[in-house]
Amino acid sequence: MKNIFAVAGVVIKELYRRKDFYVLFIVTILICLMMASVNIFNDAKIVRYLKEICLLLVWISSIVIAVTTTARQIPAERENRTLLPLLAKPLTRAQLIAGKFLGCWLACGLALLCFYIFFGALAASREHQWPLLNYFQAAMLHWFMLGIVVALTLLGSLVFAAPSSNSTICFIVVGGILFVGRHLDQVALTLLEPTRTIVYSIYFAIPHLELFDVRDLVIHNWPLIPWLYFSLALLYALGYMAVFLAGACLVFRRKAVN
Amino acid sequence: MTAILKTEKLRVEYRSREMRQKTKVALCGLDLEVHPGEVFGFLGPNGAGKTTTMNVLLGFVPPTSGNASLFGIDVRQPIARQRIGYLPELTYYYKFLTAEELLRFYAKIFGLARAEADRRIDELLKLVELEHARKRPIKSYSKGMQQRVGLAQSLINNPDLLVLDEPTSGLDPLGRMKVREIIQRLKKEGKTVFFSSHELGEVETVCDRVAIIHQGELKAIGSVNEITGRHASLEKAFLEIIGFTTP
Amino acid sequence: MNSPRPFLLLLIALLVFCFGLAAHLEPQFQAWPGSRAKGDIIAVVLGDSRRLFANTFYVKADEYYHSGYYPTMFDDNAAFQTTHMAADTGAVSSKNHGDEHGFLGPRRNWIDAFGRNFFPDRHTHLDSGGADDLSGSDEVREILPWLKLSADLDPDNVQTYTVTAFWLRERMNNAAEADTILHEGLRNCPESYDILFELGRLYNESYHDRDRARNVWELGVRKWQKLDPEVKKENRIVMEQLCIHLAKLEEDAGNLPRAIEWLQQAQEVSLMGPVIQQQIDRLRGKLGEEFNPLMKPLY
Repeated sequence: MKNIFAVAGVVIKELYRRKDFYVLFIVTILICLMMASVNIFNDAKIVRYLKEICLLLVWISSIVIAVTTTARQIPAERENRTLLPLLAKPLTRAQLIAGKFLGCWLACGLALLCFYIFFGALAASREHQWPLLNYFQAAMLHWFMLGIVVALTLLGSLVFAAPSSNSTICFIVVGGILFVGRHLDQVALTLLEPTRTIVYSIYFAIPHLELFDVRDLVIHNWPLIPWLYFSLALLYALGYMAVFLAGACLVFRRKAVN
Repeated sequence: MTAILKTEKLRVEYRSREMRQKTKVALCGLDLEVHPGEVFGFLGPNGAGKTTTMNVLLGFVPPTSGNASLFGIDVRQPIARQRIGYLPELTYYYKFLTAEELLRFYAKIFGLARAEADRRIDELLKLVELEHARKRPIKSYSKGMQQRVGLAQSLINNPDLLVLDEPTSGLDPLGRMKVREIIQRLKKEGKTVFFSSHELGEVETVCDRVAIIHQGELKAIGSVNEITGRHASLEKAFLEIIGFTTP
Repeated sequence: MNSPRPFLLLLIALLVFCFGLAAHLEPQFQAWPGSRAKGDIIAVVLGDSRRLFANTFYVKADEYYHSGYYPTMFDDNAAFQTTHMAADTGAVSSKNHGDEHGFLGPRRNWIDAFGRNFFPDRHTHLDSGGADDLSGSDEVREILPWLKLSADLDPDNVQTYTVTAFWLRERMNNAAEADTILHEGLRNCPESYDILFELGRLYNESYHDRDRARNVWELGVRKWQKLDPEVKKENRIVMEQLCIHLAKLEEDAGNLPRAIEWLQQAQEVSLMGPVIQQQIDRLRGKLGEEFNPLMKPLY
């Protein structure tokens, strides 16, 4: 385990020493503050549009950070030849994959923490309330969703040759699932066989990332998600993370590193 | 004497991209032994199979057939790498880390305790003369400094066997001298050094034994004097062994 | 040959020519109907596609009205053909049918069933509290940013102004802002009787200025009378509302004959003639006189 944490630590250091996170965070803050300064019928209590814009920016930024940070991990190690001295240590390939995943996931978690603290402060400045449990549920579900994205991107980085192609494909897949994943079964009904079966299979096979998008519940102050379903969703995410990581270990085991 | 590094009929084949050839043989039945405490030079022209041999020994590439072991343990076991240090050729270490952080990272992987790791880091940075730059990010280092930090990381666990791939590549004469001094110091401490190099003059100076490999086959193995034989220099002997005749 | 002077002189001559040509053509360009120089930055950047965005934000406002519980293009949106935030103002005829509470349909599989715990799953309206169940609250303010954006992007959409003004006046008690948005609407849509109706309601109910309300409503009626017969058939409800409100105004002022005339006007366009007739009879009862079939309408 110490090996895994050691590798994870390096990834986290990389996140806070690169500019990506700071640029996205500052852009988010600037856009939100600009939106907050707009006069809407002289009513200072209007807040939901601001929450929506902020959460949208948080989601976009977090997915960008997750995909770009993860996509370059293994290829950068390979390109800089740091993979060789790393694997020459008593570190298995599976431990390396686990360490990279944990590092990227924790790094995303830290970034999310900063974003959600800002979001909470922004919302509280108008709503004058702190529904902490609701925010906690939203942030945790968001973080676990990013875990699936990180695991998927890590697998992609071992399958696809270039980080850019991996990033592009991951963005398209993640975006596609978020927008239409919930409705694929309805789309399947309108199709003929064998396309219908294929689409149905995709519907049941893909990780339903849209389950973790509870922005509407936060924006419109809906009650808490029942804790049982909340826990089941986290377990669902862990399951998919395990599947993608197992796939990554399997692919990496057979890959030449020289 | 039990070999610290041993290969038996080691064969490595790669799938060839050429239409007419199905596989490319990188190593063809390599038998090699390196004894404890010796400095062993592994020589050969470009594409001879030196790096492939090292890749097999370090577990990067599985052999097609044959065996390879370190300290009597099969190279495919991660534990075999617990007592070795490795310096690859032309490595650009993590740019955003400092030298100290890089060494601490590798020390954690070896499971060194904090106090022991701190002591080793101080010692190694002094050895490779990077104390003044320990807090600077590696991206600000010159090539020579990067090579030295690479050497330091290969020694972090105080290894019994050091595997160096072209350790003096890209270094100036002063840098090469420093590397030779370090190798000689390690030899005095009883460490075993296995390295590949194109600098035959250095090999003559530091090595106890050498092996010459060409086109995946071991062509010669023995002490420097044995290999040099009747030739004026190791270089001339090398050229004859690999079949290059001077006009 | 090597002197740069001729080239400099040529360059200056070309610059003078370009400037003169631009100055000569500028008035014609300004007068050209396709010129975007007159438009604001949004019109210049987006062109006519801004109307698509305007409609998207208009629907977004209705989504906010429902606290996020809204059909997507994959769901059954028969009950959302007319936005509820507009239908609830009473000034728009609703084309909705079907079940607004269950547009998601029955649970199709375990993923769908599980997923419904993670997005809004109940039909609510913000003016009656929304997801918070704060009945009678003013949370309907949350739809305003999207309505404002929609109005900015499509200044010719009358409904945006009337819906915005209704909620500003009715729920936010913000008559001043309602007045402002309606006047903005009138500047962009000077022939709109819908906006005049809403403005009249503002004057009557918020400012209690009956005279201004009467003037504005009567102006609305005159504008409606100028419409083509086919267009009139599709826009009966506003005329009906104008006449009924004018009738009420006259009744409150004690001018019962005038009130009856307005009700007769309303009866001509209304689909609920018998109900209006009851009101006419009630007023006649108050007056104490019989129906005179020879009485001509005012317009």
